[in-house]
Amino acid sequence: MEFDPSFALSTVPTILSAIGMTLLVAACSCLGAAVIGFCLEITRRSGGVQGLAVRFLIDFIRATPVLVWLYCLYFILPYYGIRLDALTVGIAGLSIYFSGYLAEVFKAGIDAIAEGQQEAAKALGLGRLDRIIFVIAPQMLRNIAAPMGNYFVSILKATPYLAVLAVPEMLGQAFDIASETYRYAEPLMVAGIIFLSLALGISQGIKWLERRLLAPMSR
Amino acid sequence: MHDTAHDLAVQITALQKWYGAFHVLKDISLSVSRGARIVICGPSGSGKSTLIRCLNGLENYQQGTVILGGTRLGDNARDTSLARRQTGMVFQNFNLFPHLTVLSNCTLALRRVGGMARGEAESLALHHLERVRIPEQAYKYPAQLSGGQQQRVAIARALCMNPRLMLFDEPTSALDPEMIKEVLEVMTGLAHDGMTMICVTHEMGFAREVADEVVFMDQGSIVEQAAPATFFSTPNHPRARSFLNTLLH
Repeated sequence: MEFDPSFALSTVPTILSAIGMTLLVAACSCLGAAVIGFCLEITRRSGGVQGLAVRFLIDFIRATPVLVWLYCLYFILPYYGIRLDALTVGIAGLSIYFSGYLAEVFKAGIDAIAEGQQEAAKALGLGRLDRIIFVIAPQMLRNIAAPMGNYFVSILKATPYLAVLAVPEMLGQAFDIASETYRYAEPLMVAGIIFLSLALGISQGIKWLERRLLAPMSR
Repeated sequence: MHDTAHDLAVQITALQKWYGAFHVLKDISLSVSRGARIVICGPSGSGKSTLIRCLNGLENYQQGTVILGGTRLGDNARDTSLARRQTGMVFQNFNLFPHLTVLSNCTLALRRVGGMARGEAESLALHHLERVRIPEQAYKYPAQLSGGQQQRVAIARALCMNPRLMLFDEPTSALDPEMIKEVLEVMTGLAHDGMTMICVTHEMGFAREVADEVVFMDQGSIVEQAAPATFFSTPNHPRARSFLNTLLH
């Protein structure tokens, strides 16, 4: 079967119709993973019993396949009376899975901040939460813009996992066309190109953000 | 001296601190009256920095008492925050927040700890930046300033919180010689304004000119404590004599 450019073009509108879902899942999961990951890292740093528990939890999350998380949330939680729709499960699954990785990135970003920053903030009388929000987090973000961007791209590329839950994201749409027409090359190629451009867009955005964030520290 | 308890800014009694098995502070007692300027000197590793860091809760200690402005500090969050409200600290490496402008460095604690509105905090910060003679740099970032300018901003940032006691931890040790002068001038100005100051420093010229008292520490103990004239002309302790010799020659 020859690659048919005009058929490929004809699949674009259908596949693009799911771009909103893909972006919604990716954006919510990035936010969720960042928030959960940051909380995990802050708890891990606080030491004590909960710090040890979180250290184990982060390793556990990172050592489990993302599909296991999706299946567990979707098929096992209902046994305990928690019934979530596919979209929520998808976002929660990706958020949890990637939070483990982002916690490690945040760790590196916080470790790189000079110890004197914490001390100066303490000496000024700033409380723990204020120190985290106004002194640590902004400097951490500067340190990790690039690796964090990489994980955001990874999250985008992981959205097709939601196909197993029948969430209508882009790759799922492309595959539906393929199954109906028995032509795989064109729709998959189209979906791949759209993913590629989205990923490039995210990494460009992160580069721009990094330049903006770093500007005051290097001028 | 009129050493009634009320006139004391700081009273340290029998302070003991260990890092594991290492005895860093050995039975330190020191009284500082209001408005006094104390210079602490001594070889590195003698516990000078550790001592002043015990005064604002950056270090804890195992035994002894610290009374700050009439309140005995315990090892709890309330007392630590009380101590930090009363003291301002200037560090060797400035420790300005690199992601904030000079002005925001000064206003952050005013707004978050002092609960001050933005405008009020900024005008107070500008007042203190003028006091350290650097108001024109208010909207720059720390990385755009020289070391001496950064240290003066750090002093202004501490002054903003209206401390009753200023702690200086080797404030000129990370500076080029030509910048040391501008920082010392600001510190001298503060002393003349009546600020209570405890300075860990090797600037013996500053000690001679500004200090009421020089405290010499060695291996975790205060081995000599005297007015600068006495300390520099006739140091008693052999360690103090050899320290002064290496410093002055």
